[in-house]
Amino acid sequence: MKTSFDHAKSAARFIADKERAHWHDQALWFVRQKRDKAVKSIPEMEELRRAAEEIKSHTMEYLGYYLELFEERANANGIEVYWASDASEHNAIVAKLLEEYGAKRVVKSKSMLTEECGLNPYLENLGIEVTDTDLGERIVQLAKDHPSHIVLPAIHLKKEDVSKIFSKYLHTDPAKSDPEYLTHAARHHLRRKFKEADAAVTGVNFALAKEGAFVVCTNEGNADLGAALPDLHIACMGIEKVIPSAKELGVFTRLLARSATGQAITTYTSHFRKPKPGGRVCVVIVDNGRSGLLEGENSKTLSCIRCGACMNTCPVYRRSGGHSYGYVIPGPIGSVLAGAKDVSTYASLPFACTLCASCDNVCPVKIDLHERLRHERKEAIKVSKYTSKRVFLHMAAWVLQRPGLYSALMATMRFVLPHIPRSILYNRFNIWGREREMPMPAKKSFKDLYNERTR
Amino acid sequence: MSARDKIFDALKDRRRTPSFFPVPKVNHSVFDDRVAIFSQNVKAAGGEVVMLKNPYRDEIVKHFPKEGEVVDTREEVSSIPYKDEIDLAIIEAEFGVAENGAVWIDPKERYPREFLTLSENIAVVLKKDAIVDTMHEAYGRIDLFGVSYALFMAGPSKTADIEQALVVGAHGAMCMKVFLY
Repeated sequence: MKTSFDHAKSAARFIADKERAHWHDQALWFVRQKRDKAVKSIPEMEELRRAAEEIKSHTMEYLGYYLELFEERANANGIEVYWASDASEHNAIVAKLLEEYGAKRVVKSKSMLTEECGLNPYLENLGIEVTDTDLGERIVQLAKDHPSHIVLPAIHLKKEDVSKIFSKYLHTDPAKSDPEYLTHAARHHLRRKFKEADAAVTGVNFALAKEGAFVVCTNEGNADLGAALPDLHIACMGIEKVIPSAKELGVFTRLLARSATGQAITTYTSHFRKPKPGGRVCVVIVDNGRSGLLEGENSKTLSCIRCGACMNTCPVYRRSGGHSYGYVIPGPIGSVLAGAKDVSTYASLPFACTLCASCDNVCPVKIDLHERLRHERKEAIKVSKYTSKRVFLHMAAWVLQRPGLYSALMATMRFVLPHIPRSILYNRFNIWGREREMPMPAKKSFKDLYNERTR
Repeated sequence: MSARDKIFDALKDRRRTPSFFPVPKVNHSVFDDRVAIFSQNVKAAGGEVVMLKNPYRDEIVKHFPKEGEVVDTREEVSSIPYKDEIDLAIIEAEFGVAENGAVWIDPKERYPREFLTLSENIAVVLKKDAIVDTMHEAYGRIDLFGVSYALFMAGPSKTADIEQALVVGAHGAMCMKVFLY
């Protein structure tokens, strides 16, 4: 990612098509409403959120213990466990497992971690065919695009776009854009891919330390079908995915789908504890910056269960689209994670946030997202791109601490400001004025009016 | 240093045995009529509940439009051509969950795992007194130590990835019916 990346600029491209931007906003608002309905049907929702928050922070406190326990128990169940410090180690491990196996065709179910690590291009360079089997992911894969949402990867595309993509690659009728027709065409196409596959790669929603097992949640059944057919199943997870035991799933399975899409539970909530007869299951556990995050102020972001609720509710995400964030995970949680990873590249993201805190209120594990974003602003303002903003804010703070100077300056501004030409007022250092109109000052200040009245 | 060592070194202050375990205390919903709530939620998940006094194979088959390859996994399953599509799989569920219409299916390696997703239609057979209120009871009931692969299934396979329009039959079953007896 280039250092010139700027959220406002990429969002401007998105909102240039007003109709589409409005449609996108409405589509996500619809999901948010479904979530509200599902959440309200559970009187104990707040208790569940608190329980989830507690379980996650407990697990993070003892993360080393739980990961070690998971490894030991998983090994005892016949599951192989591999460790990767970063993305390149992760990719190398997966590639080695596949190559040892002679696997040429891989079916993959949704995993944000493998997106984060860039697994697909890595494997494709080695001549391995990777088929994303989640419908939304397959659509963006065929379009040589990227997911714009972590639960709804193709939410930025309209059915007419999908029809165009499918007619090119799956030879569907270009005149037809009915979602049912298109979905069933993809089913037919992907069934073949499943049957030809030599190996399956899946993500992990929850790893259970005590049982040495892991859980994968999907609506389509693609993880189950992929893992069942070929003999090799590779499951990739971040170190933060472990929870103490299956008992806690009572809390998380009640929260995940309700927060994500407003369903009571995902269609398939699948527990993998032992390889199938004659099969092999390998779990790759990845750090890639997570252990560092654990020690900083943003450690709570590791509690995220990737439901996407913060995106669906975010007024900025809904109106600017997932791609405007320039990071693998967009929206409020993505902005924090991106900033924690590389503050200079992603410095514009915390400023895209309006600090409305709607995300805090829908987060099923109660991450204080807007506080995290406020914290990110403190880091981002130090980046050279924001020098003028930083200098101006320092000046403003200095003036505001001096009431006499402040009123003298304001009196001058009230007189001068209306006479300054636009070209000078909206100069390139005026970042604030780039997207906004400066308010024209009133003729008299509040203080003057107050003094007149009480005289 | 290996990646494993590096990760555990970074987590060195987090390796002690926990002095306590979080016990999620949630005062959760209890339903008067679990069968009714369960049926309602199976429907919401795109499935259907059928009351059947005797869940015999012949009785179940009548509830599906055409009879192709039928596999009744309650019987000894063998010689099913690998990776071939099955028209209808009859599967016993251990219990159901009222709050979301999910059923707990544990194949116990008695039949291939892919039956659950390759089959065009799924008939789930479930005792009507084997329905619990919520996922808390559900996990209280499951002993994962005896499980190789098992899942909660709620309705047929579905997706809304194209313009949020719900379409049934993404990869797995196109139709899922739960037969309560």
